[in-house]
Amino acid sequence: MTSNQLENFRIPIGPQHPALKEPGHFEFAVDGETVTDASVRLGYVHRGIEKGTEGRNYVQSMYLLERVCGICSHVHATAFALGVERLAKVEAPPRAQAIRVLVGELERIHSHMLWLGVAAHEAGFDLLFMYSWRDRETVMNLLENITGNRVNYSANLLGGVKCDITDQHEQEIRTGIDFLEERTAYYLDVVSNDAMFLRRTRGIGVMSPEAAEQLGVVGPTARASGVARDVRVDAPYAAYVDHPVNIVTETAGDLEARFKVRIKELFESYRLIRAILDNMPEGDLTTRMPRRVKPGETISRVEAPRGELFYYIKSNGTDTADRVKVRTPTLPNMGSVLALAVGHQFADMPMLLAGIDPCFSCNDRMVSINAPGGDTQQWTWEQLRQYGIEYYR
Amino acid sequence: MNTFEALIALLIFPGGIFILFMGMAYEWADRKLVARFQNRVGPRWFQPLADNIKLLAKEEVVPAGVNAVLFTVLPVIALAGAMTAVLYVPMMGLEPAHSFSGDLIVTIYMLSLLTLCMGLAGANTLDRFSLMGATRTLTQLFSYEAPFLLALLGPALVAETWEIKAISHYAANHTWLLLTQPIGFLVALIGLMGKLELPPFDAPEAETEIVAGAMTEYSGRGLALFHLGKGVELVVGLTLVAGFYLGGIANPLLFFGKTLLLLVGLAGVQALLTRLRIDQTVGLWWRYGALLVLVQFLVLILWQGVM
Amino acid sequence: MKLSTMWKEALGSLVQRPATEKYPFVRQEAPEHLRSKLHWDLEGCTGCSLCAKDCPANAIEIITIDKKAKRFVFHYYVDRCTFCGQCVASCNKDCIELVNNEWELAALDKDNFELYYGNDADVDSVLAEPAEADVEEPITA
Repeated sequence: MTSNQLENFRIPIGPQHPALKEPGHFEFAVDGETVTDASVRLGYVHRGIEKGTEGRNYVQSMYLLERVCGICSHVHATAFALGVERLAKVEAPPRAQAIRVLVGELERIHSHMLWLGVAAHEAGFDLLFMYSWRDRETVMNLLENITGNRVNYSANLLGGVKCDITDQHEQEIRTGIDFLEERTAYYLDVVSNDAMFLRRTRGIGVMSPEAAEQLGVVGPTARASGVARDVRVDAPYAAYVDHPVNIVTETAGDLEARFKVRIKELFESYRLIRAILDNMPEGDLTTRMPRRVKPGETISRVEAPRGELFYYIKSNGTDTADRVKVRTPTLPNMGSVLALAVGHQFADMPMLLAGIDPCFSCNDRMVSINAPGGDTQQWTWEQLRQYGIEYYR
Repeated sequence: MNTFEALIALLIFPGGIFILFMGMAYEWADRKLVARFQNRVGPRWFQPLADNIKLLAKEEVVPAGVNAVLFTVLPVIALAGAMTAVLYVPMMGLEPAHSFSGDLIVTIYMLSLLTLCMGLAGANTLDRFSLMGATRTLTQLFSYEAPFLLALLGPALVAETWEIKAISHYAANHTWLLLTQPIGFLVALIGLMGKLELPPFDAPEAETEIVAGAMTEYSGRGLALFHLGKGVELVVGLTLVAGFYLGGIANPLLFFGKTLLLLVGLAGVQALLTRLRIDQTVGLWWRYGALLVLVQFLVLILWQGVM
Repeated sequence: MKLSTMWKEALGSLVQRPATEKYPFVRQEAPEHLRSKLHWDLEGCTGCSLCAKDCPANAIEIITIDKKAKRFVFHYYVDRCTFCGQCVASCNKDCIELVNNEWELAALDKDNFELYYGNDADVDSVLAEPAEADVEEPITA
C-alpha cells in the first residue's frame, strides 16, 4: 500500500455496529492503532417528531415528545408540560411538581445505571455490566409501580400528574433507594479502584475545562471537566426551587471522572428523593388546563440525565402548537468525541463515544441550511414529498 | 499400530468425533461458568451443538475481493491442525495415540496453526474490521507465543525429555510442578487464554470495537469450523497444562477433575477482568510474562547444572 | 488499586440463584398500578369523545348509534394503544379503566387487536355494516 492509501485507512463505526445500539456513523482514520482523524454523520433516525407535533393537539404532542428518547422520556414530557403551562398561564399544584421531580430523579437513577452498564460493556467489563443492570431492575420496578409503565412512563398531564405517591409507594421507594445506595457505593469503589478497569479509563479522553467551555458540552460530560453547569441549579424549575441540588463536579476531565460524576450524582438523587418524600406537599394532583393556548412563545429548559434539554414552543391560540423545537443534550456533546478522538488508540473509541452517553435518535433533527448567497434552502411539503419519491425511485 | 487402530484414533477417539464433542462440552462449561459468575442462567447444555449445526447448515457467503480457495481452505486447515494436536496429548488420561521424542514442539505449533489461519483469513478479506482483527491476532500471537512456549518447556527441561507422554509420566511421579514452577504455570494458563482470545485478551475480536475481528466476513461453515477448532484447542490446552503442572493425569476421573478445575479458574479470570488494549497486551507479555518465565528458566537451568 | 474489585461478588454468584427471571414458567404478579388493557363501561358515557380526541395513538373510536338513547359503541385498537392512560384522565365520567393484570396481549390473529365494547346488539350492528358494503360492491376480477 502506498502512504496515501495508509492515510485513508478509515474504520467505520456504525450505522450498524455492536458498540452502538442506535444508528450513527463515525469514521476514524487510523495509523496502525492510533486515530488520526474522526468524522461523524448523524441523521439516520430522523423521525420528524417536531413536524409531527404540528398535526396534534397539545395533549397528544406531549406523548409524542415523550418518545423522543426512550431512556429519559419523563424529562421530555416535563419540559413540554412546563412550557405549555407557562404559555397557558397555569401552574401545576405543588404536589404535582414534587411528583414530577421525584419521577425525574428516579429516571435519572435508571439512566445513569444503564449508562454504567453500557460503558462497562464497551470496555469489555461485562461483569459490571450485568450486575449494574440487575440492580437497575429495582428502580425500573419502582417506576413501573408508581407510574404504570416501565419505560415512557406517561406520568405527566398538562397541568399536573396522573399518579399519586401513596404511603405504600413511599415505603417501597425508601427500601429501594436504601438498597441502591449501598450498591452505588460499591460501584463507585469498583470504578475508582479496579486496576484493570482503570487502565481503560484513567487519563483517557482528557478534556480541560477550557475545551469543555469551547465545545459547549453540557451535563455530566461538562461537570466531569470541572464546568459547574446544571439547569437544576442555574435555573431551578418545578420542585427544584424548594429542594436545591448540590452540583457534583470532578476536575480530571477523563473517562474516570465521567464515571465518578455520574455515580456521585446518584447519591445526590437519593438525597433529593428522600427530601421530597419527607416534605411531600399535600393537595391536588391536577389543575384545570384550557384546551386552547393563547398566542405566545416560550423556552423551557430542564436537566435531563445527559445534560441540558431545551424546548422552544410557539402557540397560536388553537389547541395545536405552531412550532416546537427540541435540542437534546447529545448534540452539543457530540463535538467533544471528535475533538478528543485524535491521538487516542482505536480501542478507546467506543469508550469515548459511550463517555458522553450518546442518544442518537433523540439527537437527530432536521436542519435547514442557509447557503452563503442568501438562497434559503426551504422546501415546501410538496417539494419534500416529490424529493422523497424521486430519491427512492 | 495397524491401519484399523490408526483410523479409529483419527476419526473416533481421541481425534475426530470425540474431540469435537469434547470441545463443544468444554465451550458450554466455559460459557455456563461465566454466566454464573455474572449471576445469569447461561446457555443450556446443547447450545454449542445447536450453534454449530445451524452454522454448518447455513450458506457460506464468499465475499467479493477474497481469494475464494484460501477463504474456504483456511478454516479446514485450522481445525485439522487443532485436531492433529489431539493425537499427541494424553486425552482422558489415557496414553497418547501417537508419540515420538519431540512431539511437544509439534503439538505447540499445531496449536498455533489455528491462530495463524485466523490471522490469514482476516488478512485475506477486504473488510476493514477483518484487517484490523488480523493485525491484532498476529500481534498477539507474537507476544504470547514465546512466553507460552517457554512455560511449556519448563517441565520438559526438568523431565529431560521433549516427549509429552514422558513429561506427563514424570509430572505424575514427582511433586506437582505447580509448586516448583508457579510462574510457568501462570504464564502457561494465561498464554492459553491469549491463544484462545478469551477475555481479557480478546482485543483481536473485541465486539464493541471491530465487530468480530478476523472472523467478521465468515458465516456458515467457515465460522463453524473455526469455532470447533477453538473448542478443540481449549481441551488440548487444558490437558497439556493439567498434565504438566497439576501432577499428571493418570485416569479419566483425574483428567476431568483437573481440567475442569482449571476451567473454573479460566472462567473466573474471563469474568473478572476488563479487556486489555492490544498495546497493553503486548506490554504485559513482553514486560512481565516473558521476563518472569525467562528468569524461571534460568533458575531451572542453573538448578539442573548444580544437581 | 486492586487487581480485581468484584471477585467476592462474582464468587458469591456461583452459589447464588441466578437473577434471571424464568418468565413463561414462573410468572410474577403484576404491580398494582400497572397499566394494561383498556376496559370501557357504557354506564355514564355521554359520548363526548374526549378520550378519542386526546388519544395520542388514535386507538379509540366512539361510534354513536343514538346519542339520545346513549347507544355508543367503543372501538378499541389494542395494537395501537401505548397505555399512557390519557383517556382515563380525560374522561369526566370515569367510564374508562386500564386494568393491571391483562398485559399479555400478544396474539397470532389480527382480529384479536380490535375490540368493540357496548351493548351486544349495537356491536353486532356496527360489525354488520362493513359486511353489507361488501355485498353492495362485489369485486369483479
